[in-house]
Amino acid sequence: MAASLVWALPVAVVSAREIPVTDLDEQQLVEACLAGRAGAFDLVVERHRRAVYQLCYRFVGNHEDASDLSQDVFLRAYRGLGRFRGGSSLATWLYRIGVNVCLNRVTAKKPVTEDIDARQHVDTERESQVDRVLREERGVRVRAAIAQLPPKQRATLVLRMYQELSHEEIAGVLGSSVGAVKANFFHALGSLKKILGSDEDLK
Amino acid sequence: MKPHLTPEQFVDLAEGVQPESSLPHLATCEACRRQLAGTRALVSDVRAVDVPEPSPLFWDHLSSRVHDAVSEERLRPRSWRERLLQPRVLVPSLAGAMAVALVAVLLPRAPVTSAMPPMPLPPLAPLGAADDPQLSIVAAYGTTLDWDQMRDEVALASAGGSGDAVAAALTVNEQRELQRLLAEEMAQPGALENRS
Repeated sequence: MAASLVWALPVAVVSAREIPVTDLDEQQLVEACLAGRAGAFDLVVERHRRAVYQLCYRFVGNHEDASDLSQDVFLRAYRGLGRFRGGSSLATWLYRIGVNVCLNRVTAKKPVTEDIDARQHVDTERESQVDRVLREERGVRVRAAIAQLPPKQRATLVLRMYQELSHEEIAGVLGSSVGAVKANFFHALGSLKKILGSDEDLK
Repeated sequence: MKPHLTPEQFVDLAEGVQPESSLPHLATCEACRRQLAGTRALVSDVRAVDVPEPSPLFWDHLSSRVHDAVSEERLRPRSWRERLLQPRVLVPSLAGAMAVALVAVLLPRAPVTSAMPPMPLPPLAPLGAADDPQLSIVAAYGTTLDWDQMRDEVALASAGGSGDAVAAALTVNEQRELQRLLAEEMAQPGALENRS
């Protein structure tokens, strides 16, 4: 039994090294990054860049800051990769870093939200010109309203509604209880409603 | 009259985690029903708002920026102080030195039978806190370590032989300075009692 374990371990290590990085599972990919394997961290970035950018954008409400923050998130992730224990998914761990980076930024700097003319690149073939303009304007208003929320409410709302984390995962990211997360979420919706005016204005 | 629904209950109802039938108050309270309908509508509207899609070239640009920043980070030379002050370096080194010192103190001393005179040790170079005040950070760190925490960190953070590997990577002067600091630490009264 002991002898078979001794032989099995080096075989497993060698085979993991031979697998192309694109075929590695999450934990193997993290280990490949830590071992300095070429292309491993680039792949982490490629897999998570969209979600990290969108998280940052939801926080700051403009492309330039979201782009800078995304780079910062990945650089911090690279520095702290040795502390990733696999207790949560890599995405959740990156969100945790992202939320911290964004919270630091939003407390230090007033958010600069996008211009009303900002356009979304979506399939608009079936949409009338008027509907498209209305939808874009509503999007700009909602994003601007989210950018005005207090930081914890903003974090809770973004993680729940757009990153689709469970309340338990959000509690882990923010270091609070599930009850506090739900209360924060509810208050965030209330604040949004106040900022946006009445429900009818959204329609 | 029963109290209105709590924020937690509103969230659970709006997300469909809890059925409306489980809260009889809802059937009798117009205000809570209105609040719930408003919450559901807002959730639906807010969720429908996308982040504007950046240019398709942006993603490769972002990857390239991160790649450059990480490469720069890899190449950045670290001073020996930075290397030494990393917990994964300092803690195993201190723990190893403590263990050696403990063994040396606790082992019964055999009478010296050799006729050979003891070899004089070469004097230490005068490198220390007096020459570089920043070295006092290391000494101060050593005095404030919590031994229980240190033992846990050694178990969690250090790979087998990592302390030796780090010590081997230090220059002669760095090794000598580490040795001096550890000896200084060990010489303090009560240093060994903290281990228990």
